[in-house]
Amino acid sequence: MDEMVQEPAAIEEPVAGEAPVAEEIGTQDGGKKPPLSKEEKKIRRERVMRVIKPWLYLLPTLVVLAVFTVWPIINTVRMAFLADLRDVSAGGDPIGYDFLKDMGGMYNFEFTFQNFAYVVGYEGFLTALGNTMLLTVVTVPVSTMLALLIAVALNSIKPLRKVFQTIFFLPYVTNSIAIGMVFMAMFQMIGYSPASPPTSVGIVNTIIEAFGGTAINWVNEGSSYWANMSVLFFYIIWNALPFKILVLLGGLQGVNKQYYDAAKVDGASRVRIFWKITVPLLSPMIAYVVITGFIGGFKEYTSIVGIFGEKYMGPPGSMGKPLNTMVGLVYDSIKSNQGSASAAALILFVIIFVVTMLNLYVSKKKVHY
Amino acid sequence: MKKKFGAVVMAGALACTMAASLGLSGCGGNGTKANFTMPEGGFDITKPVTITFSHTMGQNLRGVLATHLAEFQKLYPNITVVGADSAAAGNYDSLRDLLYTQIVAGNQPNIAYCYPDHVATYNTAAAVQPLDDFLPGGAYADMTITRQDGTEVKLGLSEEEKDMFIDGYYNEGKEFADGKMYCMPFSKSTEVLFYNKTVFDNELFDGEKLSVPTTWDEMEDVCRKIKKKYPTSIPLGYDSEANWFITMCEQLGTPYTSATGEKYLFDTAENRAFVQRFAGWYQEGLVTTQTLNNDKYTSYLFTENGVNEETGQPLPRAYMCIGSTAGASYQMSDENQGEFEFEVGITSIPQANPEKPKVISQGPSVCIFKDDDPQKVLASWLLVKYLTTSIGFQAEFSMTSGYVPVLKKEVMETNATYKRLLDAADGKGNLTALSAKVCMEQEDAYYTSPAFEGSAKARDQVGALMAAVFSTPDKIDEIFKTALAECKRG
Amino acid sequence: MTDTNVAVENQDIPVQAPEETPPAKKSTAVDAISRKQLAVKILVQIALYTFLTLMAITVLFPFYWMLISSVKTQGEYEATIPTFWPQQFKWENYLYLFVNVPEDNVYIANEFNLGKLFLNTVLVGVVSTLLSLVLTVLSAYAFARLEFKGKNAVFAAMLATMMLPGELFTISNYVTVSGLGWLHDGMGVFTALVVPFLVSVFYIYLLRQNFMQIPNELYLAAKVDGTSDLKYLWKVMIPLSAPTLISITILKMMGAWNGYIWPNLVGQGVFELVTVGLRGAGFQNAAGDTLYPVQMAAIVLVTLPLLLVFIFLRKYIMHGVSRSGIKG
Repeated sequence: MDEMVQEPAAIEEPVAGEAPVAEEIGTQDGGKKPPLSKEEKKIRRERVMRVIKPWLYLLPTLVVLAVFTVWPIINTVRMAFLADLRDVSAGGDPIGYDFLKDMGGMYNFEFTFQNFAYVVGYEGFLTALGNTMLLTVVTVPVSTMLALLIAVALNSIKPLRKVFQTIFFLPYVTNSIAIGMVFMAMFQMIGYSPASPPTSVGIVNTIIEAFGGTAINWVNEGSSYWANMSVLFFYIIWNALPFKILVLLGGLQGVNKQYYDAAKVDGASRVRIFWKITVPLLSPMIAYVVITGFIGGFKEYTSIVGIFGEKYMGPPGSMGKPLNTMVGLVYDSIKSNQGSASAAALILFVIIFVVTMLNLYVSKKKVHY
Repeated sequence: MKKKFGAVVMAGALACTMAASLGLSGCGGNGTKANFTMPEGGFDITKPVTITFSHTMGQNLRGVLATHLAEFQKLYPNITVVGADSAAAGNYDSLRDLLYTQIVAGNQPNIAYCYPDHVATYNTAAAVQPLDDFLPGGAYADMTITRQDGTEVKLGLSEEEKDMFIDGYYNEGKEFADGKMYCMPFSKSTEVLFYNKTVFDNELFDGEKLSVPTTWDEMEDVCRKIKKKYPTSIPLGYDSEANWFITMCEQLGTPYTSATGEKYLFDTAENRAFVQRFAGWYQEGLVTTQTLNNDKYTSYLFTENGVNEETGQPLPRAYMCIGSTAGASYQMSDENQGEFEFEVGITSIPQANPEKPKVISQGPSVCIFKDDDPQKVLASWLLVKYLTTSIGFQAEFSMTSGYVPVLKKEVMETNATYKRLLDAADGKGNLTALSAKVCMEQEDAYYTSPAFEGSAKARDQVGALMAAVFSTPDKIDEIFKTALAECKRG
Repeated sequence: MTDTNVAVENQDIPVQAPEETPPAKKSTAVDAISRKQLAVKILVQIALYTFLTLMAITVLFPFYWMLISSVKTQGEYEATIPTFWPQQFKWENYLYLFVNVPEDNVYIANEFNLGKLFLNTVLVGVVSTLLSLVLTVLSAYAFARLEFKGKNAVFAAMLATMMLPGELFTISNYVTVSGLGWLHDGMGVFTALVVPFLVSVFYIYLLRQNFMQIPNELYLAAKVDGTSDLKYLWKVMIPLSAPTLISITILKMMGAWNGYIWPNLVGQGVFELVTVGLRGAGFQNAAGDTLYPVQMAAIVLVTLPLLLVFIFLRKYIMHGVSRSGIKG
């Protein structure tokens, strides 16, 4: 983004002729001017073309943006603030905005903050917010640390590096729904029911048992919140590693080797070198992956759908989507109540905005450029 | 700086005009249709009119419909009926979502399959045509119309025609907050108790034969006896948790929902008590449901006859199953050269109070959407009336689909083919007929639940609630609270 | 860590650190390494490889499990002690995804028709990629080469929209496509899957940066020769930006392949893409048992094309990815 701002005068073509052209267009119909020669007409046409042409190039893009990006911003804010409050005076709940209701004309939508109050007051809101925060604050630091270690390790070996690099990137090019289903299969007990033992405890539990542990009900009916969350942590970290490794390794490879040589001469230990040289030098990249990680974390949704499915957003037979996230909250009501969906989306946006600003503020203090 | 600002404003203005020109300003309006008023001279049987019909019929049923549409068109040659965009066979929720967006875009069909709560949703946009004016005593009921074959019939539904319907089914169309009738029953199903008649008739449990349970207390007793003799069995399968909850409310006379005032009333001590009781059954291994049976219909348990290869123990098996009559053919035991593994008995589901039996009514109804062209509304009404009151169509549709006719048994028996079918009913190969028979015999027991926007949500939530309490009975308070909160969520 | 000969493999990492210096002279340092230090170095290398191998196994295990599960029999899949190599390969699991096999009581292809899902997805992917490329190239060209009033403001406004989370657009876009009557049939849903995502501001930004690196002299020379703008764009700028365009193409196709939320919202039951179909399918046989190996086979077929694309076009994917931070 910085680059973009620095780029204003990239084109040296003279632009002086532009303003007059615009004026001429404005006065063209005045009719007072003498008839133009062919040559003049041609020049004039070219000048007009010069003004119009860029907009012609941009027209399809701007139309699509106007309808599917600009209008949604306006409309989402609008819907978030509309509700029918007639029930409220009678002690009922507000009726949120819904385009089918809007159409019939039987509802009386007015400007109000009720949708926001309604979303925040909804029992599932705290669950969703809590889950989202928990997933983010656990997976972002862990995956960043792990990615950093892997990147440093990769940077310190020569044979097989490319092979490892390719392997570590694989999770990136997969479908999070599809692989989520594989994780489900790995953690699932087969033939489980409270009245009878499962026919198989699943591969993950088998491995745990091989190391002397006891099988845990990770994802089946009646499994605990923390068991479910652990599976999600594992999956999300697994999924988040490739991008972070890619960026951090790229950063490491750009680091000036002289720093390390100097440190070596000073006889600094590896751990010391890691904390005193590698981390500070990589801090811009670390900040980058942490910030994008936080943004991604607050938008977590498909990994949970992949593992647990949209219906329950939790183990089978659970109530009220115990693993729902903020994005899930938005999509839950998108078909029936766009008012509360919009309000939830705006709340999510504000949270992401604040967290990103906080991140930027912290990184400004800590990052060494 | 000023220049830039100007450009931003221009871009914004451009965007807004474009959005507005696409008619997306939010006020919509393109989907609202005029209210029906009877045109001058009534229905014009000379002017061609095309109506559309959205349903979820599969290939076989479309065939049945086509045959009877041809008959209909002989009577009204000016009416053409075309199938509209339809959802996958049997997927009522998809159809609802589809119609919802069609109403918004203003291109809804004229007639559609529906459940009463769908109608309540469509009616948030006042999209459905009330039918009261065409019903006995209605403003247009006694108008007459001369058909192509020269016969003169009433435009509306006559008293006699109304009496043909099973009351419970007919009244379902009136369960709305405003008390108006918005849909007509099309084809129906209910829940019945399937039981393993061979075992019930021949085997001894604690030295005596089992008797088919008629109350829940008897049911508990029978389940215990079976479990004692066959420890690996799950004596009873109940497919639909939601139906179980709602039916229990009806049987016990406890509150469930209301179309007016406070809507979600199901969180009561009595309701918690019966859920708790059945959860105990589940924990004991006496019963299971579709959700808890890994989303498998419990009919699979009912027809199961295998043995676990590793342990040599018989696989979990059910000896009774409460399921939809529409799925009767799945309850049939395996056949080997005309020999069935066991005979199936069908009877009404257990009751809380046998004096006042209550069984659920399910299956599609049809509604008519408002249309700017009153001729289309009239043509749609004529078709709906024809299909729902035609004994021939109801019989053939029922035989093909496994659903039961919406007309009373004595009316249906005037159809020779259908009577033959009912007479041949047995617990082996003709299970569908047997279930239809049982279904029609309990015609006085049908209840209907209030329909309002959100009634489907209540249904989903009480179903989920049952499954959740069954698996974690100690969390019952929390689960009821969550269910209520989810219902109230706008 | 005396190893100095580090090749910079990814030339296009977002924030480039200072230019790499020529390899340091290591002769004196190497001479100084004693036996002990060498031993430590070897130990460290062993530790590094062990760590990386363990991590690699963790990363690879789900893929491995998916592959072997997809060829197991139902009985072996449900065995009390899971097997790490199929005792018996059941390739029919893959067949079930495309045809009904009545003798095995399997009718999965009725509900989950993988061939059709693939076709739908490829169709959406190709059409949306092509159209999107046209729009991206035209806009990037306008922003990189043409001069007009308000250019920077419009561009800045476009970049600003990138900061907003997608959910903010989805709600209203769902309303819009419903209102336009696009959700009733396959063709409409197809349109709804393609049109709202034709413009990616990020790709325009990426390509614009690329276009601006092309020396202006080339453009001026072309002008003097009387070459039209479009011809210049086609003959010079597009070939020179091929790597970026290929990256965009691949990422866009990946997006169609992996998309779930929007395709599920607008196309469920009407016009389904592969991920939606995969998540929604029950994979049950006629007896109501979930055939997990068949489900795994479906997952393999959904996952494999992307892995192949990655192996062959690794460079382009990383090029695009390292800059975006957006999956797909």
